[in-house]
Amino acid sequence: MTSLSFDDFLLVLRIAMTVVLYLFILQVVLVARRDLHVAPVTPLPGAANRIIGHLVVVDSGKSPLTPGARIDIVSPMTFGRSPTNTVVLESPVVSTENSRIYFQNRSLWVEDLKSRNGTYLNERPVVAAVAVRPGDILRIGDVRLKFAV
Amino acid sequence: MVTSFRNLVNIRRYRWPEFFSLILPSIFIVLGMLQLTLVENNKNAANQIATVSTNSLPPLLSLGPNLLLIVALFATHIVLSWMIPDADQTLLPVTGMLSAMGVLMATRLGPYLPTPAPTLGYHQLLWVLLALGCMLATVWLTRDMRWLRLYKYTWALAGLGLVALTLVHALSIHDFNSPTHDQLNIGLFDFTFQPSELLKICLVIFYAAYLAENREMLSQAGTKIGPLYFPPLKQMMPLIILLIVSLLMFVVLRELGLALLIFGIFVAMIYLASGRLAYVGYSLGGFAIGALIAYKLFGYVQDRVSVVANAFEPGVATSTGFQVVQGLIALGSGGIIGQGFDLGHPTFVPAVHTDFVAAAIGEEFGMAGLFAILAIFMLLVYRAFRIAIRGRDTFQQLLAGGIGSVFAIQTLVILAGNLKIMPLTGIPLPFITYGGSSVIANFIMIGLLLRLSAPES
Repeated sequence: MTSLSFDDFLLVLRIAMTVVLYLFILQVVLVARRDLHVAPVTPLPGAANRIIGHLVVVDSGKSPLTPGARIDIVSPMTFGRSPTNTVVLESPVVSTENSRIYFQNRSLWVEDLKSRNGTYLNERPVVAAVAVRPGDILRIGDVRLKFAV
Repeated sequence: MVTSFRNLVNIRRYRWPEFFSLILPSIFIVLGMLQLTLVENNKNAANQIATVSTNSLPPLLSLGPNLLLIVALFATHIVLSWMIPDADQTLLPVTGMLSAMGVLMATRLGPYLPTPAPTLGYHQLLWVLLALGCMLATVWLTRDMRWLRLYKYTWALAGLGLVALTLVHALSIHDFNSPTHDQLNIGLFDFTFQPSELLKICLVIFYAAYLAENREMLSQAGTKIGPLYFPPLKQMMPLIILLIVSLLMFVVLRELGLALLIFGIFVAMIYLASGRLAYVGYSLGGFAIGALIAYKLFGYVQDRVSVVANAFEPGVATSTGFQVVQGLIALGSGGIIGQGFDLGHPTFVPAVHTDFVAAAIGEEFGMAGLFAILAIFMLLVYRAFRIAIRGRDTFQQLLAGGIGSVFAIQTLVILAGNLKIMPLTGIPLPFITYGGSSVIANFIMIGLLLRLSAPES
């Protein structure tokens, strides 16, 4: 049986309480660290497979879109003035069916649908289908969209 | 038996990390109560003991009712495992540790206050138990969160109505010199209730709902003249009116800390929603003008500011600056590892169990203990913002971010006041300060965070 003087025992208790506080912090940090490794957002069933990223409206041109609005990308989707398109761009310089984007072989592709004013990727005209990478700016007529994941 | 337990809680999704994280707070409570029991025994000359051996230690169950807190924390943990197994697992241990500190402090300080209150610890314990119940109720009621968002103006009006009641109460008794006006005495059990604690929650919900709806307008619309950005006034109006009305009420009630808190919530949430520093700039400008006007108009504002500047001047340290100076002396006498729990003399500080609980912690647990408590608050705020980042929609993100801001601002304002960095304002240190309304309101916000952190079922 061990015995300690009263003051020594209180010193031990005092240190023990502080140590418990710090061990607790360490433990919570370790628990908190674990979920940095898990996937950040649990995708909603079904929807997850379809939404590949977003298009952020950088410049709405003459169309009624709000700059800064985010459009979910689904595959395939079409852009144009006609209401049959996935995204309707009501601007006089956008053709009825202007451009199309689709997902294939793990990348996102954009093609021009023989529009009058063309489709531009980073200000270069899209002739055949080209892959779009995050951060690229897509210009359809006078509407500019940024591809964000 | 085993199968029924399996049915109750899904074993695979059992909240083990939370379970293990509750062990150290429990040890902390046991150690604290052991120290308290031993020291209190030794203060009585007849019972003094010189040496401590393993069989002279008091038995575990004689350590007092505070051990109930351990039971309550584990019970809450089990209910959470059954109710929302996927919710954040650090919130309950973190708040458990903070409230353990609060209950221990209330138990220790109560009998030594200028007006002794030996039951202070029991009261705080009961409040925490009740608050844990409120937290679970909040988690249950917010299964579907839409009602929070739909009734946003109701929340705003309810919050303001509550504070207006206190205003009427304060005006009717014509007593503007008592330290705290923001109280309503309700007949039952001599119960004092602070409506501002509920106002806090109401405002965060309102701001989150309103800003979620008008976020696009606030971040995109507005006019730009040169480098200056002017926000769209039409969308700003409800926010500004609410802000000004609540600020005015608190300035009249002399609750500067609450005014600051509400202003802080406003700035933090509008910045979270719009991402525009311009709002912060305008708000700070408005704050500077408002503070200047309040300083010119109200004597008590001048007093508090002058305390920060000359607390140690001869005439001040014994009168208006007495509390702050005593608090600093308490902190200083704590040193690095403190005097030891129940071995200091924090009760020299007036209102040590409410305004100056941080000074009491600093004296008895030292700088090491106070820093640990601060780190735990930082973890709490970190978790809240992490939940905000992972929120499902703008409303939920803003709600979690707003709640995180409330905890952060409150801790900052009261600690800065205690350390004489800022004028002292009586505002509770979340979870630790003695007081029922505050503990309950804080746990309701934790309930909201728990719900926000769980994926939708």
